[in-house]
Formats: sequence, structure tokens, C-alpha cells
Amino acid sequence: MSQATKLPEKVINWDILNEIVSMDEDDMGFSKSLLMQFFDQAMSTFDQIEQHIKTDKDLDQLGQLGHFLKGSSASLGLQRIAWVCERIQNYGQKRDGPAVSDENYIKLIQQSLELARTEFVSAKKELGEFYKTEF
Amino acid sequence: MEDLGEKLSEGQKDEYDNGIGSGIGNSSGTGILNGKGKNQRSSFNDFVRKLFLILESEEYTSIISWSPDGKNFIVLDTNKFTTDILPKHFKHSNFASFVRQLNKYDFHKVKRNKNEAPEGIQNAWEFNHQYFRRHDEAGLDNIRRKPSSQKKILVDENSVIVRRLGTALGDDGSGGLDGHEEGMTAKMLLKDTVTRSKFNQVKRKVEDMESQVQYLTNENHNMKLDFQKIQSKYNMALESLLSTESFNSQLISNFQTLVDALMQQGLKIPVGISFQKPNAGAENKSQQQLNQIPDSSGSTPNTNIAGLPVHNTLPKQETGDMIPIDQQSVLRAGFHVLLVEDDSVCIQLCSKFLRKYGCSVEVVTDGLSAISTLEKQRFDLVLMDIVMPNLDGATATSIVRSFDNETPIIAMTGNIDDQDLVTYLQHGMNDILAKPFTKDDLHSMLIRYLKDRIPLSEQSQDSDNGAKSYAEERILKKPRI
Repeated sequence: MSQATKLPEKVINWDILNEIVSMDEDDMGFSKSLLMQFFDQAMSTFDQIEQHIKTDKDLDQLGQLGHFLKGSSASLGLQRIAWVCERIQNYGQKRDGPAVSDENYIKLIQQSLELARTEFVSAKKELGEFYKTEF
Repeated sequence: MEDLGEKLSEGQKDEYDNGIGSGIGNSSGTGILNGKGKNQRSSFNDFVRKLFLILESEEYTSIISWSPDGKNFIVLDTNKFTTDILPKHFKHSNFASFVRQLNKYDFHKVKRNKNEAPEGIQNAWEFNHQYFRRHDEAGLDNIRRKPSSQKKILVDENSVIVRRLGTALGDDGSGGLDGHEEGMTAKMLLKDTVTRSKFNQVKRKVEDMESQVQYLTNENHNMKLDFQKIQSKYNMALESLLSTESFNSQLISNFQTLVDALMQQGLKIPVGISFQKPNAGAENKSQQQLNQIPDSSGSTPNTNIAGLPVHNTLPKQETGDMIPIDQQSVLRAGFHVLLVEDDSVCIQLCSKFLRKYGCSVEVVTDGLSAISTLEKQRFDLVLMDIVMPNLDGATATSIVRSFDNETPIIAMTGNIDDQDLVTYLQHGMNDILAKPFTKDDLHSMLIRYLKDRIPLSEQSQDSDNGAKSYAEERILKKPRI
């Protein structure tokens, strides 16, 4: 999406997550295991992004990683993470942003990654409170 | 000349002609005829010769006689002529018939002014023929029936002659009649032949016309069929046009609503999306909107419409509780769905939803596997991610479409860029389910493509084309960009 769109106010879109939580009725721990899976996935994706920034600075790859994590985070209602991931995707495709050089896009992605890690922690915290458990 | 014969009925004509025919052989007037003994030579105008003999005999001068100059003959007393002479010599008592016969031999009635007429013959009928003269028997050879009048009554005469022939044979015909009879038979045969060839001609014509009518009937039938086909195609096209139109207007108004809602939140409208002309981005949204309409779900812009997945903070409608029950009633269980997705979280979530709706799910994680799976097995529906390793969903779909045009393939994507959407549809995808989607969004899509259909697994061997053609119809009707 465009540069102009704002970071969502809430960390989690509960309309979406509640729908998944409701699936627990006939499958105990479904939503939780899904979230656990996502956190693992996010951690490794963050690491991969980090790697690309440090090594080959492959914008294409970075964009795809952003897109990948955007999909799963959005489907779980983790809207702030998804928003940041979309930024990474767009920067990878050299869209959205004042940068004109690849180097600038890499910087923007670097910044977004930091933000994503922060949001990741926030989400874990909120979900930990909801599930009364430590993620 | 007055053609009095016109007034005669068929019966009178027969009577008259028979009178002539039989009168030739054995009439009571034969005494006169045979006395002169000159009638054998020319039997074609016996009537005239008989009349000539009557006049020459001068037996009835008060009734019928030559005119003073001998060029005409006059019937002085038509009443007595009708009651005495006609029955005696011509076997009938019809003066009109007599006049008609004269007319046939080209006699003409001589018209005189009453003043001019000699004394006592004002009411007489005077007739003239250029060869009918007093004492001129040789001239009689020149008196013949008019060919024109003969032609006019050809059919009548033909039938009359046939009947007469029958009578003559039945009477074991007298010797004297043979020559005459032969002539009549020849004449009759001649006429008959002409009639037959004409008949054949007409018959051929009729047959030609019949075959032509048959041909034209077939042609007409074919054209009707073609016309019906074209009309149904036209109706289909019109229907899809209308649905596209209503679709577009809906889309515009919804888009406007969405834009307004965004404006209220102080969001700038993204570049590249315009609500003035319906474009690919809008298409996606309105399709979702359409999906929602049958479910009577709210059409207020929700979080899943067109590329505002996570940012939209508008309250979602709390209709989720009742809709699934309603929806469940129209979607059968047992549909086999192929899920093509590379993200494990999405796979689990999506297959969870699908199973919730009674579908069985098979998962592959890239475009190549999707193609090979679809080659081996048929599915009721395919949900296809776009961005995947090995082969992207759009390309995979275009390859699948080369051997399978029926299975609905729905794109699942977070990329709702105009150009992308156009590409997906051009690659043969039926619809787009924007990520992230809710349970209800997915259900609407299932309803849209599987409603009223019987799962392939239940169709088994009995080739139920109904469901398939329904699916095809849906595909046809689907508005394309």
C-alpha cells in the first residue's frame, strides 16, 4: 500500500483473530499452535531479511520475504506486523518511498525490520496476556 | 351475336349433345336425311346439313324458311320451332340450345330494325352464314365448328365424348356408326393425349414445387434453429452485459463509500485507484461485494476489501453469528478442494476453514505441483496463492486451463495491484479472494462457485452434466475485465 497509509492503531485485529480462536472449539489449541508456528516463521524470516541486507542486498528477495510474512501475519490478525511487512515488500519492489537509489531502499527496509521486531514483541506480549502463557 | 349458350346448364348441354349424337344414326328425321343420301361424306357438320335439308324440303315454311334472297334463314315462329321441329329432328326442345349450336358453327344473328323487317316477321330470328345458302349444298363443306369455341369447352367435350363412347359400346353400336365412332375415338384419344402430356407437365411442375417447398421448409427450419441459437447467445451476452453493468454501478457506489470512509479517517486515496472508471482494483472489491449479497451480509466496507487489509479500523459488522447457519444450508458437504499455498500458517488456517464448511482439502505448495495434481485428479474448486516458489499461481492457472476449463480456480492474494488483478483474470482465474480473508469471505466464494453443485465425489460414474454445465455457465456469465 501507499506511503500515506498509517500504521494501524491496534497491534491485533481481534475480529480476525477471534474467528481463528473460535476454531478451538472442536480443535483444542488450534489458534495457539498456529500463532506459535507464525512466531517461528517470523523469527526465521526476520533473520533472512537481516542476512540479505547484510550480504547481497537483493531487493527482489527482500520484497518476497516481506510479502511472505505479510500474508501469514495478516491472516492471523497481526495487523501491525503485516503493515510493516508490506512496507518491506513495497521497498523491495522499489515502490512507495522517497528513496531513489537501491541503497536507500535497503536502508528503508532495515528501518522497517527494526519496527517489525518491535511489533513482534508487542504482539507476543498481547497474545501472552490473552492466552495466559509465555510465547 | 348473342351467345345464348352461356345460359345453358350442364345438363342441357349433355341433353343437346346426345341429341346430335343419337340423331345421326337413328333419329326420326332420317327419312329426310337418307332421302338426300349425302350425309355420309361429311359427318362433322350433321347439324348444319340437317338444318339445310329441313330448309330445302320447305316442309315448314311457316315456321322456318330461307330469306327472300336465300342468303339467310329465318325462324319465323320460335314457339312452334321449339315444340315441333326441335323434338322431331334434334331430339330436344330447347331453342337456346339450337341458337348456341348455330353460334358454334359461326352463324350470326341478323339484326334488323323493326321498321325494316318484312311484314309479320318482327319477332322472327334471322341467321346468316357466308356458306349457308339456298340450294348450295357444296357450300356446307365449308361450315365447321369454330375452333375457338371448341377450345373453350375442351374439358367438357372430352368428358362428354368419353361417356358417349361408353354408351355406344354398351349398345353394341350399329355398323353405320363405326366410322363416325372411330373418328370420335381418335379425336378423343388425341384430346386425351394432349391432356395427359399437359397433365404430366403440370404434375412435374407440382412435383418441382413440392420439392422446392420441402427444401424451403428445411431451410426455414434450419434458420429457425440458428436463430434460436443466436438468440440464446445474445441473451447470454446481454445478461452478462447487464450483470457487468449493475456490477459496475455497485462497484462505483461502493468504491465511493469506501473512499468517503477513508477520507473521514484522514487517509489519502492511494495513487492509481480511481473510482471514476471501474478498474481492476475495483473489480476485486465488487466481486467480494457480490459474494456477500446473496448472504445478506453487510456491504459496509470491511477490513478485507481491496488492499486495506490491516489498516482499516472501521468496526466490522457483527453479522457473523447468523450468516453461517444460513449459508450452511445451501452449501453441500463433501467438496474436494485443492489448496495451493506455500505459507504453512495460511495452509493451516485456510484448510481449517474449508474443513469447517465440509470440504475435504488437499494441499500442494507450489504451482508445478498444482498442475501435476490437477492432471491426475479432478477437484470441485482450486484455491491458488499467487506468489509461490517454482511457479507462480497465475502462470500455473494458465497451464491448467489448457486442459481443464471447468474447475473454478480462485486466486488468493494480498497483491491487489490493478495490473496484477488483470493478469490473474487473463490467466484464466475465475475470481480473487483478497488476503487476508475471513471465514465468511471464503464461504461466500464457496457459495459463489459451488452452490447448487453436487460434489464430484458424489457424482461418481453417472455423468451428471447438469452440474458441469452449470459451472460452465457461471464461468461464461462471469464478467471479465
